[in-house]
Amino acid sequence: MNAIAAQYAAQKIGSIFLYTHEAHPGEHYPHITSFAQKLRHAQALRTIYGVNRPILVDALDGACHRAYGSMPNMTWIFTRAGLPIYKSDWTDSDSVANMLDYLVTIRQRRRDGERVAPFHVERIDFRTKDQDGFYVGLTRNGSKAVREFDEAFE
Amino acid sequence: MTTDDLLASYNYDAFVPEKFGPWMRFHESPPLWERAPDFPLWHLDGSETRLSAIFAQNQYTVVEFGSFT
Repeated sequence: MNAIAAQYAAQKIGSIFLYTHEAHPGEHYPHITSFAQKLRHAQALRTIYGVNRPILVDALDGACHRAYGSMPNMTWIFTRAGLPIYKSDWTDSDSVANMLDYLVTIRQRRRDGERVAPFHVERIDFRTKDQDGFYVGLTRNGSKAVREFDEAFE
Repeated sequence: MTTDDLLASYNYDAFVPEKFGPWMRFHESPPLWERAPDFPLWHLDGSETRLSAIFAQNQYTVVEFGSFT
């Protein structure tokens, strides 16, 4: 997602990471109990995971996250006016890039004088399942996070 | 639900179905192409902004929701 942010920034497409709550709390990164702790965890996302997009932190009660469906790793795309035009219950960079390419194309068609009208579409996208990489992340959170994930889906 | 109950429930302390399951509410999320709710957000330095102020900076904005874990 960092690469996509860089790729489309020159086309007036911004990207942010919105920090929510700990989906898989562990000994090293436990559940959040204060806003100061939430800011520290968000900073760690930058220093350890290398997220270089602007990181914005939600309220301690997750007001924004909850209003948008509170999924653990979702992505939305909004217009300047605050209209959502894409929402995905899971973040996949190929899916996001596909939509951004489409939006850039629509913008060019408008510039070329074409009149366009919005319509709704639903579809299923497919993501790579990187189970090994996922467990590396869980282990970083702490053994508790690994154990709870295994027990939740055993 | 009291404020304290909400804080504890949202910031659950264990990944167990009865705690994370209730927050999987994508089917209840706002519809596309209708003005979405605005909320205060905070930069890493603690300064406050709003979601709408972020949107105003570009023609489109990609928002990835997530956390360290």
